[in-house]
Amino acid sequence: MFLQSLKMAWKAILSNKLRSLLTMLGIIIGVVALVVLVSLVSSATSSVQNDINSIGRDMMSVNIESTDASTALDSSDLDQIAALDGVGAVAPVKNVSGSAKEGTESYNVSAVGTTNAYFGIEGYGLAHGRYLLKADQDNNSYVVVLSNNAAAAIYGRTDVVGETFVFDETHYTVVGVLAAQDTTGAMSSMYTVYIPYSIAERVSNASSSSGSGFGGSASSSSSSASGITSFYVSAASSDQIDVAKSSLDAWLLNHFGSSEDYYISDSSAIADTMASVTNTFALLLGGIAAISLLVGGIGIMNIMLVSVTERTREIGIRKAIGARRRSILLQFLIEALVVCLIGCAIGLVLSGLIIIVVDLVSGSLTYGLSLPVMLIAVLFSLVIGIIFGVYPARKAARLEPIEALRYE
Amino acid sequence: MADPKVVIEFVDVYKIYQVGDSEVRALDGVSFQVRQGEFASIVGPSGSGKSTTMQIMGCLDLATYGTYYLDGKPVSNYGEDELADIRNRKIGFVFQNFNLIGKMTLEENVELPLIYAGVGREERAPRVRQALERVDLWGRHQHTPLEVSGGQQQRCAIARALVTEPELILGDEPTGNLDSHTSAEILALFAELNREGKTIVLITHDDHIAAQTHRRIRIMDGKVAADEELDADRHPEPSTRHPELDSGAHPEKIAGGARNDEGAKLRKSGKAVA
Repeated sequence: MFLQSLKMAWKAILSNKLRSLLTMLGIIIGVVALVVLVSLVSSATSSVQNDINSIGRDMMSVNIESTDASTALDSSDLDQIAALDGVGAVAPVKNVSGSAKEGTESYNVSAVGTTNAYFGIEGYGLAHGRYLLKADQDNNSYVVVLSNNAAAAIYGRTDVVGETFVFDETHYTVVGVLAAQDTTGAMSSMYTVYIPYSIAERVSNASSSSGSGFGGSASSSSSSASGITSFYVSAASSDQIDVAKSSLDAWLLNHFGSSEDYYISDSSAIADTMASVTNTFALLLGGIAAISLLVGGIGIMNIMLVSVTERTREIGIRKAIGARRRSILLQFLIEALVVCLIGCAIGLVLSGLIIIVVDLVSGSLTYGLSLPVMLIAVLFSLVIGIIFGVYPARKAARLEPIEALRYE
Repeated sequence: MADPKVVIEFVDVYKIYQVGDSEVRALDGVSFQVRQGEFASIVGPSGSGKSTTMQIMGCLDLATYGTYYLDGKPVSNYGEDELADIRNRKIGFVFQNFNLIGKMTLEENVELPLIYAGVGREERAPRVRQALERVDLWGRHQHTPLEVSGGQQQRCAIARALVTEPELILGDEPTGNLDSHTSAEILALFAELNREGKTIVLITHDDHIAAQTHRRIRIMDGKVAADEELDADRHPEPSTRHPELDSGAHPEKIAGGARNDEGAKLRKSGKAVA
């Protein structure tokens, strides 16, 4: 009986190919939207997660929320922190953004004011020249280390040691260029350069006292706080991260007297945040795609209702020669299901092709079809087929034979 | 004649439709019997209730009041599925407009009742072939209904009615859409099937057709107006004696005329066939 219904359904679908295809289109688009969007997001999520993990799980960043000048940290405090149990290195960080000029071009640049330890903590390698040194800090030298992509963008080459770098009207000497990074952490379109912490402090103070004089003037990331407001800490080794974190926490609590005055974030916290953001994205996109599947289902119901009306006479004949209600119900339900599943299959194949194309185009990220999402798509199509197939099928099954036979 | 068992028995059957506030009595107390092996016709002009009689007889519809016994069992006791099974196994339908499914080949059309009967694939093929051979259509079985003539379509419909080997064949104006030559062919086929033992009831408005059956039940205004044994071989066609019966334009007059003229042969409803 089931096999016969399947055969009948198949025949009915083939007998009106264009209409069947148009009916399937809703499901196809829904499945493609669901599978492609969620696959892209989850691939992106896992690659970002990998990046975060590769940055190193042995790193923490500390932000000081307190604006109290009496507890402000200075470099001697950082020296104390560096000596704590489990702690490897400490580097202060002050971000200053501004514009760099080379020839007639100007570039948005994010300058990180820091010390030598920073490069060790971040694990950055050198392509040319040297890192920032303690001497640069002590002498307040206007020197700069460029990130690889900044050097490439501004000078068109990376061996630019000794060149003059103009940042916010101030001349710096390029002393080093970092090795190229293969991370995708380009969250902003800004280029990153590194200058001595003392210089960054000076730039920041100058701009906050003079206000924003003209467009592109430097602005400090934390305007009012004095002292070191942000620093990176690395653990002595990756298995010491928890020890380092707890001793750091104890020291800071002792220093400030309140856990509200500082905030420690480590890479796992960043990863968690990223994961929750991307999960939200996946849910959002998946939800939109699910709605389009739902619309596809309504399309199926619409066509099935038309089909039932069109075939009223056929249903009457079938009933007259002995078809039970169940047989008619099964026939139409299976027809709806088959339409749904064929649509789903076509959708999955299309999704695969789209992902392959996206892979070829994007190059850097590798996307893959997410198996759970494919399963969800198939299940969803089945459920939609049943939900939107049952009503027309019941309508067909409940037709009175004489009424149906009389139908023209 | 020995008394073969009663296949169809209508006892005071009413079919009443509610149309707005007024009720329409399509059947107004119909009683008759058909015995196994009979070749009967139910005649009447359109609107007389003969189609309603046919629908109730064929278990396509149920009586409002009264009882229809099929094979001695009241049909009103059956559920939806049992009625479907009766239509499938006990009754073969032949309709005026053939009612074949256009998208299917003749073979598939004939196969359909067997599928609903749950007959296995291996058993279906020979039975379909046998039924199509019986009506001389084997060889055209791969054609669709639209590719064959009306007479062939109706023969296919007869094959479909025969394939489940029902004891009762109901024909609802089976020759209504056919030319006279083809009609004669189809009627001959019905007569042949009757000789082979099938109980056959034809519904028609045409006395020429009715005259070729062995018994004529005349329905007028929802009542049995006449019920007579016919002997097609010995008597001339009734319609030649009563031309007004063919018109169907004046049912009251015909009903009266039929009662008066056919006198002795006419038996009142309910007491048909002693």
